[in-house]
Amino acid sequence: MALNKSMIVARTDLSMAMKVSYVKYGLIFTAAIGPIMAIGTVGLLVFTAANATDLLVIMQMVSPLMSPMLGLVAIIPASLIAANALVGEREQNTLEPLLCTPLTDRELLTGKVLSSFIPSIVLLLGSIVITEIATIAMFLIAGYPPMLFPDITGLVLLLTAGPLVILAMNSVMILISGRVSRVYEAYQVSGASVMIFMIPMLLPLVSLDSGGAIDPAAIWFSDIITILIASVLFIVTWALAFSKFNRDRMVSLV
Amino acid sequence: MDEVVISGLTKNFGDLVAVDHMELNIPGGTIFGLLGPNGAGKSTTTRLLSTLLRPTDGTAVVCEFDIIEDPVRVREITGVLPEEGNHTVYPSLTAYENLVYFGKLYSVPEEELPERIEELLTFMGLWDRKDDKAGELSTGNRQRLALCRAMLHRPRVLLLDEPTSALDPIAAKRVRDLILNLSRQYGQTFFINSHNLPEVQRVCNRIAIIDEGKILLEGNTQELREKLLAKQEFRIRIVGDIEKASSIAKSMDFVQEVKEEVDSIIVTIEDPTTNNSALMQSLLFAGIKIVEFAEEEATLEDLYLDVVKEGDV
Ligand SMILES: Nc1ncnc2c1ncn2[C@@H]1O[C@H](COP(=O)(O)OP(=O)(O)O)[C@@H](O)[C@H]1O
Ligand SMILES: [Mg+2]
Repeated sequence: MALNKSMIVARTDLSMAMKVSYVKYGLIFTAAIGPIMAIGTVGLLVFTAANATDLLVIMQMVSPLMSPMLGLVAIIPASLIAANALVGEREQNTLEPLLCTPLTDRELLTGKVLSSFIPSIVLLLGSIVITEIATIAMFLIAGYPPMLFPDITGLVLLLTAGPLVILAMNSVMILISGRVSRVYEAYQVSGASVMIFMIPMLLPLVSLDSGGAIDPAAIWFSDIITILIASVLFIVTWALAFSKFNRDRMVSLV
Repeated sequence: MDEVVISGLTKNFGDLVAVDHMELNIPGGTIFGLLGPNGAGKSTTTRLLSTLLRPTDGTAVVCEFDIIEDPVRVREITGVLPEEGNHTVYPSLTAYENLVYFGKLYSVPEEELPERIEELLTFMGLWDRKDDKAGELSTGNRQRLALCRAMLHRPRVLLLDEPTSALDPIAAKRVRDLILNLSRQYGQTFFINSHNLPEVQRVCNRIAIIDEGKILLEGNTQELREKLLAKQEFRIRIVGDIEKASSIAKSMDFVQEVKEEVDSIIVTIEDPTTNNSALMQSLLFAGIKIVEFAEEEATLEDLYLDVVKEGDV
């Protein structure tokens, strides 16, 4: 297994994806929407709060609700690029020459996974960093002691479940690539998968009690549940994708 | 040394047997032509040899590597031109970038890559289009680019599926010249699929005819041609009633077969040296004007049509 072969595939795929305008602008748009909403919400709270104590209470409630959104934002572009990765090759009839190269199954699949994993992770980290910086800046400008948003629990969730869900998303795309022949169909499946992955991302919501107060232990608990679900999803889909990958089936599918 | 050894190779798609217990041995350096009508199983054979498809039964060995046991090695030493429609290069990459991408995937040494790309693109007459997006090239140019891609890593065996199908006659001739050149220079083995007989006849030194997944006939091009020459066919071009001429010819006991064309009959004559003049006399006597009486030039086409027709029965 030569990782550099996979990197050649990933780099070329990525540069080609960026030449497709709806993928490029889709990326920019989804990349912007998470931080804009997060920063907008925080801004509203910071500049309308009566005092530091009120703000702290509100932020503790909003943080677990808003943090997973940044994760979702990174999954959508991942699904766009991943759908293109193998199904797109078939659609533009480049699959056969690619499968004729000495790439092993593993090198090929790793390359395809990396081609959407890399931009997704960059988007995820980028939107986290931007949101954190903007939050701290707004707190300082408004004269409050700075706070992290997403907070520690949110960060742990995003940095563990986030990549796992993105990888699981990729595996699902590889799995369906031997069964659907058009990118359009792949988008539909990927759309459905995003919905499935929203559930674990939004699970922290259950830690809200009726009064709107949040028990920090419940947030940690739901984080752990989410991370577990994401891990299982990742392991199962990844194992299936690699074991079920079948050149013959991909080529035979008309 | 046989560079491609196909033994019992079979591929089923459901109930359809696309390749049926194929046996073939192709010596190194051969330019081999697999000839057959559409749907005969040519592309399926190429896909099996290039490890894209897995045989239902049997196997093949390419340069000592088994297509089932060692698919990665087989892919390393083969260059493939997929069939038309599937040879598409990446439309959003330039011609040059397409070749760089595949050169890297085939581990062409980085320092040699630019030189090889230039050489191939120049030879194919594509050098001045190197910075054009492949998607903007004409079908013929895309196919030439796909051919460059197949040859970039100097594979020992080239699997070319209908290599000139999208090309104009000049480009097709260039490709034939390229094949002959490469074969002379590097001794590469070519496995060429085609339904175009004159094409195959011009480049291939070994031919097999395939129909319904079965090899009907195989041999050296020269041998096959000689086999045909023994047929003793004569073309008699006449002015007058073709049917009448045909029935006269059929009535002679040394005439084995008569075929009718618009202005000629084509007769197969036993012992022509003795009998030709007798036939000529009978025709003249019946008032038929003979414009031409000549030995029919034997082409592989006749053989091809004969064999494929027999196969259909
Ligand atoms: N993926 C496939 N699924 C089902 N049938 C196929 C498939 N590929 C080829 N066939 C069938 O196998 C036969 C041989 O096809 P092919 O090898 O493409 O012929 P050729 O290249 O000689 O025209 C045809 O009848 C074709 O319809
Ligand atoms: Mg074909």
